[in-house]
Amino acid sequence: MNKKNSWLNILSLSFILLWVILASVPFLWTLWGSFKVESDFFSKQDWRNAIFGVRTIIETGGMFTTNGYEGAWIKEEFWRAALNTGIVTLSVVTISLTLGTLGGYALARSGFRYAFWILIAALIFRAMPHITLVSGYLLPFFELGLWGHLSTTIIVLVAINQPFTLWMLHSFFSTIPKDLDESAMVDGCTRFEAFRHVIIPVMWPGVITTGLFSFLLAYNDFAITALLLTEANQTMVPKIASFLGSAQEQGNVMFAVAAVVSATVPLFMLVMFFQRQIVSGLTAGAVKG
Amino acid sequence: MPHYTFLKFIWPSALAMLVFIALPIMSTSVQSLFIEHEKILETVENCTPFGCKEITKVDLEATEAQKAENPLGKFNGFGTYTNRNHLAFSELKQAWRESNGLNEFLAEVFNLPFYKALSFTLSYTFIVTPFVIIIGFFIALAVNRLPSFLKGPTIFVCLLPMIITPLIGSLVLFWMIDAEGIIGSFLQSIFNDPNLSLKASPTLTWIMLFVYGIWHHTPFAFIVFYAGLQTVPRDTLESAMIDGANRWGQTRHVIIPHLMPLAVFISLIQIMDNFRVFEPIIGFNAQASATSLSWLIYNDFRSGDGDMLFGSAAATSMLTIIGVSILMTPVIVRTWRANRPSQGVS
Amino acid sequence: MASITLKNLSKRWGGFVAVDNLSLKIRDKEFLVLLGPSGCGKTTTMRIIAGLEQETSGDVYIDNIKVNKLEPKDRDVAMVFQSYGLYPNMNVYENIRFPLKIRKTDPKTHDRRVKHAAEMVELLEYLHRKPSELSGGQKQRVALARAIVREPNVFLMDEPLSNLDAKLRVSTRAQIKHLHHEMQVTTLYVTHDQIEAMTLADRVVVLNRGVIQQIGTPSEIYDKPQNLFVAGFIGNPAMNLISGKIKNNKFETETISLNGFRTNDGNVTIGFRAEDAIIQPNKTRAVKSNKISVPVYSIELLGDSTMVSFQISGSLISIKAAKEYSAKIGDVVTICIPISACHLFDSDTGNRIKDTL
Ligand SMILES: Nc1ncnc2c1ncn2[C@@H]1O[C@H](COP(=O)(O)OP(=O)(O)OP(=O)(O)O)[C@@H](O)[C@H]1O
Ligand SMILES: [Mg+2]
Repeated sequence: MNKKNSWLNILSLSFILLWVILASVPFLWTLWGSFKVESDFFSKQDWRNAIFGVRTIIETGGMFTTNGYEGAWIKEEFWRAALNTGIVTLSVVTISLTLGTLGGYALARSGFRYAFWILIAALIFRAMPHITLVSGYLLPFFELGLWGHLSTTIIVLVAINQPFTLWMLHSFFSTIPKDLDESAMVDGCTRFEAFRHVIIPVMWPGVITTGLFSFLLAYNDFAITALLLTEANQTMVPKIASFLGSAQEQGNVMFAVAAVVSATVPLFMLVMFFQRQIVSGLTAGAVKG
Repeated sequence: MPHYTFLKFIWPSALAMLVFIALPIMSTSVQSLFIEHEKILETVENCTPFGCKEITKVDLEATEAQKAENPLGKFNGFGTYTNRNHLAFSELKQAWRESNGLNEFLAEVFNLPFYKALSFTLSYTFIVTPFVIIIGFFIALAVNRLPSFLKGPTIFVCLLPMIITPLIGSLVLFWMIDAEGIIGSFLQSIFNDPNLSLKASPTLTWIMLFVYGIWHHTPFAFIVFYAGLQTVPRDTLESAMIDGANRWGQTRHVIIPHLMPLAVFISLIQIMDNFRVFEPIIGFNAQASATSLSWLIYNDFRSGDGDMLFGSAAATSMLTIIGVSILMTPVIVRTWRANRPSQGVS
Repeated sequence: MASITLKNLSKRWGGFVAVDNLSLKIRDKEFLVLLGPSGCGKTTTMRIIAGLEQETSGDVYIDNIKVNKLEPKDRDVAMVFQSYGLYPNMNVYENIRFPLKIRKTDPKTHDRRVKHAAEMVELLEYLHRKPSELSGGQKQRVALARAIVREPNVFLMDEPLSNLDAKLRVSTRAQIKHLHHEMQVTTLYVTHDQIEAMTLADRVVVLNRGVIQQIGTPSEIYDKPQNLFVAGFIGNPAMNLISGKIKNNKFETETISLNGFRTNDGNVTIGFRAEDAIIQPNKTRAVKSNKISVPVYSIELLGDSTMVSFQISGSLISIKAAKEYSAKIGDVVTICIPISACHLFDSDTGNRIKDTL
């Protein structure tokens, strides 16, 4: 029995170890490589060059170089894209959560059959590939002069995000006892005051988890931002894609590498910060649905 | 909750979905019935000292005017759906008539852009999804057994592939397996074959995209299962132990049934997400050997001389929507049954 | 202060009828208990009064004012929920103060009123704890304090004691009774526990499947059950019921026959309480009418008495005997059912047959 257990332990440990390596090495490698020159990162002669940075030392005199970062952030004005991403992401998360908590709460408390149908409709909407929706937007947006603005993109992302947000928050609110807001209403609150005084203080675990998924959707989106924004107000992801088109010829692939690393940092910070909440938020509500 | 209170809470959300999801679907379906105007050509006589020639050129002004007058283009019925770039009925018929043997026919079919994209999209969906669920489940089990001080950091690392921007994630992997990237050149030196390239072979490209998809989506399954494991009822587990179930027995009879609804939830989300596979194809620059339905639509907007092929994109979009609806029907019916209010609710 | 009137109140969910055409008047300052088995619509009725549930048809009046359209907050009722409904993010003090704050009463009076309410339910030393740090009984008292702090027109209590252990239940029950006496507020109390109903109520309403079965004081309900349902529901043990036929003033079943029922012929059910029948010592062998000999089915010691049961014509009959009584299972004994203690019900309609005997 014990022997069998220890084998199982070793097996499960090595399985995790393997996954941890698979999950982290690409990032570590790209981080490391972003401080090298291109001929090391893509080494024609010897793959070990990339690790020891042979060419980097020859070309720049040091082990590491920040040329890629300078090129991307200053020369290619990546900071503009970063700023735009910041605006878009922040607005999308705030607006989605505001609409989503109100709607999810109403759905969890309604008790009428149409609430159920709204949820089913949301599920179907969730299934629509984003780019098929974009093909519905483009022409009307061109005609109405809405195309190319950050605000249009924000609203579109909020809308696309609503089905998932509604589902997550609906199942989260369903786990908060009804007695809570009902006693508040008997105590003298309107439905909205009950929501504000009694539900808002206890809803954060679910909201944080949902917010994190909204954040990922807005921050990571490519299909919508690439097609709805002009070159001038691109966000980071389409900007990186456009680097690839131009950069490869000019030998500036390292700009893209640096930009990729820069765009990944906030994601890492976020998950490091909220990792505990993701699990507890999912445990509290979403997982039961 | 009275109807008007419900309405007060739900309207912003409902309106957003109505205007930006339901309406666009309708707009797409209308657009798919139209096709771009043909360019208006004019013939001018071009005289040189050596004589006069008639040449034909696009009358830009007239074309623009026509476009402004009727931005949808001209009505084409289901013509776009059946042309070569979509369902390609006549090409199918021809291939059927002329090819000898099923293999040749299939080869012909998969050369047509729509069927090529469809075959990749479906393969991607149905290969990635089960792998994601199974691997994610085992990672969740394994992480759950770790001592608690290791859990936090391990969960963090395990989540990384999921949170990463899909385009960026695929770029990172792409750079590594590039013939000159670390894995690519490492493989070359191992096999001693300087021409070895994962990108060159369609099969390897497909496999590469599948591996990327599994890598990217597994953490989602993992984290949902892991959260589910935290809610496994202790009593049931303990009574299973007392009933004499060993570890595998507990897993099979308590844990898996408990996580089953979650597996359904994950596969639902995964099928939705994988069916829209798009960014990896851009990231891996793989369109030569693998395209997806979403990529086809994107390509219609990016193709040629700046003219967006709205009609074609819309037709592909409608076909994609129909495809995803067919895929989702069983799961949605199941969800509908499971969540249906048990007694009659007014 | 306030009376509550329900007129032809109904609540349906789809085809399911939870409350069926219910009419009821709760008098001012009355303590009225709504009693019935699980799922009979007690909570639904109470929630309709509070405004938390929309009635399908019918009207609710508080103090002769129609309140159908009023929000819960405008009905000036206080409610104690079965699962307390305490706000987990506020401590006990803030929980009790919440209704005052939200109704914008004079802030200077808050402290005094909260302390007073807390004192009435003996909570003063817990004011700074969070609900999660309280026991079930303490939580229950916080819920009570929150209800009494704003001195409402009406108290609604939905099985407030059901989550407490037996001992705590008795003491909290006494506390509620005392509070009502002190505050003199109209109270509607829902329970499925008849002891609670009997001890607390001025009047009891017995409900089954959304329909009122009987309204009356506890003793009326106990002594004069209006139909078979009430007879079989009230009392511990419930009334013994035997169904048979009346023919020529004689009650007959397949196995027994009793004399002296002066009523019309027909299918009837007779009922009598455990304490009203007598088990006769075996020696008095004189077999008169209305005495039956049956074997003992089981025998249970209750502490202050002994419960002996028999099977007669397919029904289980319990009879209370002195605590010294002893017999073995299977012993044949003689029992005497006094006609004067018998209740008669029409077997077909279930209703009490009025002028018996
Ligand atoms: N939201 C609802 N939808 C459908 N049916 C409901 C709903 N709420 C209650 N019911 C049904 O209405 C009936 C009455 O419910 P109610 O809660 O009033 O019972 P109760 O008398 O309070 O029971 P208990 O003593 O168990 O609390 C039950 O059969 C219940 O299943
Ligand atoms: Mg109830």
